[in-house]
Amino acid sequence: MVTHKWQRAIILVVLIIGSIVMLFPFAWLVSTSLKPLADAFDGNFIPQHLTFSNFTQILANGSAASVGQWLGNSIFSAISTSILVMLLDSLAAYGLARLHFLGKKVVFYVLVGSLMVPFIAILIPLYLEFANLNLLDTYGALILPYTSNAFGVFLLYQFFLSIPKELEEAAIIDGANKFQMWRKIFLPLSIPATATLGMMTFMGVYNDFFWPLVATSSNSMRTMTVGVALMTIGPYSTNYPLLMALTIFSMIPTLIAFIFAQRQLLQGVATTGINI
Amino acid sequence: MSSISPAIAKKRVRKIGGSPLNQLGSFLFVLPYLIVFALFLAYPIIFGISVSLQHWNPMIGSGGFVGLGQYLGLFNMQSLTAQIFWTSFMNTAIFVVISVPFLVGVPLILAYLIYNAPVKGFFRAIFFFPSILSATSVMAVWAWLLQTQGGPINQIFGLHIPWLVRQPWAWVSIDLVTVWWSMGFNLIIIYAGITQISDTTISAAAIDGAGFLRTFRSIVVPQLRNVLSVVFIMSTIASFNLFAQPFLLTGGGPGQSTTSLSQEIYNQGFGLNHMGSASAMAFMMGLILAAVSFVQYFMVREGRS
Repeated sequence: MVTHKWQRAIILVVLIIGSIVMLFPFAWLVSTSLKPLADAFDGNFIPQHLTFSNFTQILANGSAASVGQWLGNSIFSAISTSILVMLLDSLAAYGLARLHFLGKKVVFYVLVGSLMVPFIAILIPLYLEFANLNLLDTYGALILPYTSNAFGVFLLYQFFLSIPKELEEAAIIDGANKFQMWRKIFLPLSIPATATLGMMTFMGVYNDFFWPLVATSSNSMRTMTVGVALMTIGPYSTNYPLLMALTIFSMIPTLIAFIFAQRQLLQGVATTGINI
Repeated sequence: MSSISPAIAKKRVRKIGGSPLNQLGSFLFVLPYLIVFALFLAYPIIFGISVSLQHWNPMIGSGGFVGLGQYLGLFNMQSLTAQIFWTSFMNTAIFVVISVPFLVGVPLILAYLIYNAPVKGFFRAIFFFPSILSATSVMAVWAWLLQTQGGPINQIFGLHIPWLVRQPWAWVSIDLVTVWWSMGFNLIIIYAGITQISDTTISAAAIDGAGFLRTFRSIVVPQLRNVLSVVFIMSTIASFNLFAQPFLLTGGGPGQSTTSLSQEIYNQGFGLNHMGSASAMAFMMGLILAAVSFVQYFMVREGRS
């Protein structure tokens, strides 16, 4: 449709400038983290006195930031949540898409309605509930609340609807029961969609800030996001090189996930718009 | 294994319901999810409504039933709570109004440009990249970049703009950061929408002599109506839930001018321990948000038919 060469050139130039704008903050983040504190405000993009001391200082014993602990908490809770969500949502989506029971429609519409509830509306009661259960400041608090989101059920529901009936018929001929049908046919066929759900859940939990901020209180239970935020407004508030090094640590898991599972992630996001 | 004829198998698949025992078996697949749904979503909603009808302090629990008092209090403009609520509501509304057009418009244009460019996958990845970052890392970086004294942006461009500490710059900064951070999400959705427009439609337009801009205006935008309305409604909801950007960038200032509704609810509940009135605020916000999405949904549907 683009006929003129000059139009192609303009598009390319605009996109390249856009890309530079998008990557600029990241580049400065890296550059600042490699500078000594004295050079932080020198305005040079290329560090004049290249140093890795910010990184070693954060990892050193007695550092104000417990990076290892926070990173461990975040990764553990994000992976546990993802596994739970993939399992629970896959079973529920199979039941809703392929099986029949009394009240299925009601369940379906209740779940649709629940997608409209903003998190802020349940923040306080959820906090009080976890306080009553004595689960505040535990891994339970960092995992369980995320399992109730109905998004994944719909993602997989859509996928299961598209699987041809003939496969089910063939399995019944072979004498498979419902559970075997899920286990041997629906689960394997939905691996890409389920992996996408797992990926999005991992990112969501790892990056969440609001809930872990209120649900944890001891330094050893903090997640990476909350830890970084507390350093930002606390001990590192004026030491930008140190803060930038800490920020880079906090980005590592999602960066790795993005590099290796970019396609699944983008696919998941793309379907978000089409599903709703 | 028992063997069943294909005809019977077909019948079994088609048959709706089945015996009560069979239905119970089917229900068991949904049950585990329903348990966590009940415990961590349905129960908090009901419990929250109950808390919002009481004076509630986390130390002592209920301090007495007040009925709809705390909701009505939000409309009594003499009370401090009402003033705080509506001030932060207006702040949030301002943010929604200035951010949503950019969150839909900028990705729409970029998605169309990428669709017509080489190395599409590369550009999509770059523009999406900030969306994978956490609020705290994004705000930590931008709080540094936007420092008035010695911040890289002011240094590079030789400016002296008080980005985070004076209005209207505080809103400009929050908006800029939000668009940079979350626009990629919408871009991917819109791009997927463009690829679903049939090639025949686009090439037919080209044969009719429609150029780059004409195709965008007359083919792409109208065909994207559904996708754009989903993106529009989702972005409104997301912007309404504004929390981390002012909380970590401006601290809600200067003054209270960027304190969002979510931040105010957080302050009421966890700063002042007024959990009852904070719950009332939260449900009021939920109701307003539901009403706004409802109106938007019907506006969009009306426009479609």
